[in-house]
Amino acid sequence: MKKVLIIGGGGGGLILANHLDTNEFDVTIVDKSDLHFYQPWFLYIAFKGSKRKISRPIGELVRPGVNFVKDEITEINLDERKAYGSRKVVYNYDYIAIATGTSPDPDSIPGLRQIYDEYGDYHSNVYNSQKLWSHVKNFKGGTIAIGQASPTCKCPPSLLEGAFLLEERLRGMGMSVGTSDPLSPSNENDPTKTGEKGKSRIVFFTPFPRAYSAEPMNKVVEPMVKERGIEVMPFFDVDTIDVQNKTINSLEGDSLKYDLPIIVPPCKGPKIKFTPETVQDEERFIKADKNFMKIPGYDDAFAIGDCNTLPTSKTGVTAHLEAMTVSELIQGKYSEFNGRINCPFDTAYGKATFVIADYNNPVVPYPPTATKHFMKMSMARIYWMTLMGTADPIFERFFNITKPEKLNRKYSVPE
Amino acid sequence: MDVGIKIIDSRGAACPGPITDLARAYRNSKVGDIFEMWATDKGVKADTQAWATKTGNEILETREDPDKIVIRIKINKR
Ligand SMILES: Cc1cc2nc3c(=O)[nH]c(=O)nc-3n(C[C@H](O)[C@H](O)[C@H](O)COP(=O)(O)OP(=O)(O)OC[C@H]3O[C@@H](n4cnc5c(N)ncnc54)[C@H](O)[C@@H]3O)c2cc1C
Repeated sequence: MKKVLIIGGGGGGLILANHLDTNEFDVTIVDKSDLHFYQPWFLYIAFKGSKRKISRPIGELVRPGVNFVKDEITEINLDERKAYGSRKVVYNYDYIAIATGTSPDPDSIPGLRQIYDEYGDYHSNVYNSQKLWSHVKNFKGGTIAIGQASPTCKCPPSLLEGAFLLEERLRGMGMSVGTSDPLSPSNENDPTKTGEKGKSRIVFFTPFPRAYSAEPMNKVVEPMVKERGIEVMPFFDVDTIDVQNKTINSLEGDSLKYDLPIIVPPCKGPKIKFTPETVQDEERFIKADKNFMKIPGYDDAFAIGDCNTLPTSKTGVTAHLEAMTVSELIQGKYSEFNGRINCPFDTAYGKATFVIADYNNPVVPYPPTATKHFMKMSMARIYWMTLMGTADPIFERFFNITKPEKLNRKYSVPE
Repeated sequence: MDVGIKIIDSRGAACPGPITDLARAYRNSKVGDIFEMWATDKGVKADTQAWATKTGNEILETREDPDKIVIRIKINKR
């Protein structure tokens, strides 16, 4: 029996494992953690104080016949087809799929580690999300600087989702949001700056040219950003943070004062030593071709999901679709990933939309509705089924009726 | 290929888009570096122009090949 070794039991790794025929393949998942987390819910822990349980044991999420081993892989030799675990355990394989997701790197930006430890964030883990919630719920007034430290991030909509949910929260707490000029955040005359009780500003900083990176979706959400008093600082890539003076400085030369910093740290690829080392880029992401997720030069090695360099968003949906393609390829069938993204985007106040595109079709300017919000919330319930493969027919149908070329014909306004 | 030119291949990137790769490369760059960006996303021209104006860097050339948009950028400020 051919051995398939999967590193990482996140969305990508589990979906791949659960779609391989265990009568034909000896399938093993290795994960350093016992638990799998439903990461999209970090948002609702951080901004709504949700106490929902969002983890399940990986061992309970695999189909019968799939092996699960708890171990941290530290080294992979692609030439010798060997992976090394923490206690010098050696895993041999015929096929390997690396699905290790991303790891937050708060140490690459001066000052960020202190912010990360003190305030948490809404991207890294449950603990950090709870920590952030304790600051949000006790916030009394002043400027909240919220955004991503660097352009490489999971789930592009989640950044602005954070700002939207925060605004809804602050108003729910009876606070005012916004009013002053976003370009002069250090304006001394600004009453909100000193943290006057009940008055707040939300400044959303982003390395991109606009509130939402992809222009067609920006057209949809920008009016909402303005209407809610959220200020935007574009082209703001965090360079340093002066914790003493509560100031964030950007690579592009701007600075932003804060009372409460909410900063999503840069994310990097896995801390695994590869042979050859050229398969990782400078941020440790694993190079893979964009249609077959094959690591260049190897027919038996794949990188799927957030850990790879594909020119698409790092989202659960892409991890899912990439895993489906790789399962077909390993089983000798033809399949190709077309870059499809489908990111749910909570615009708060009970509405949501989806960011839909693929390699050949631009993002659809898809308007937010209550129905889409209901769909996003339902996803949280059927998520576990999607990992097991039991929700495949629903997904196939959804992806089919929401193809970006179809939706663009309906929603895109010609230039 | 010219020596010393860093190719930024963003073909196919629609979301978050080519600026991701440009900003990543900028972080690790030094004055004098030249980037050549390849993209298919139509918005790349306007976005790169806005980025160059904001950061004080220079666009040397923009051209449309049949399969991609090519933009050369010189890093003057870092
Ligand atoms: C706030 C937020 C909101 C989001 N919202 C959405 C959404 O609405 N829709 C959507 O589709 N996506 C969303 N995402 C993105 C989605 O969660 C990720 O893209 C998805 O989890 C990626 O799956 P993955 O399998 O690549 O990695 P992960 O799910 O991160 O799994 C990686 C696994 O690898 C393991 N691992 C890492 N290193 C090693 C090692 N060395 N040895 C062994 N095991 C290792 C880890 O323990 C982990 O279990 C969101 C993310 C965040 C943070």
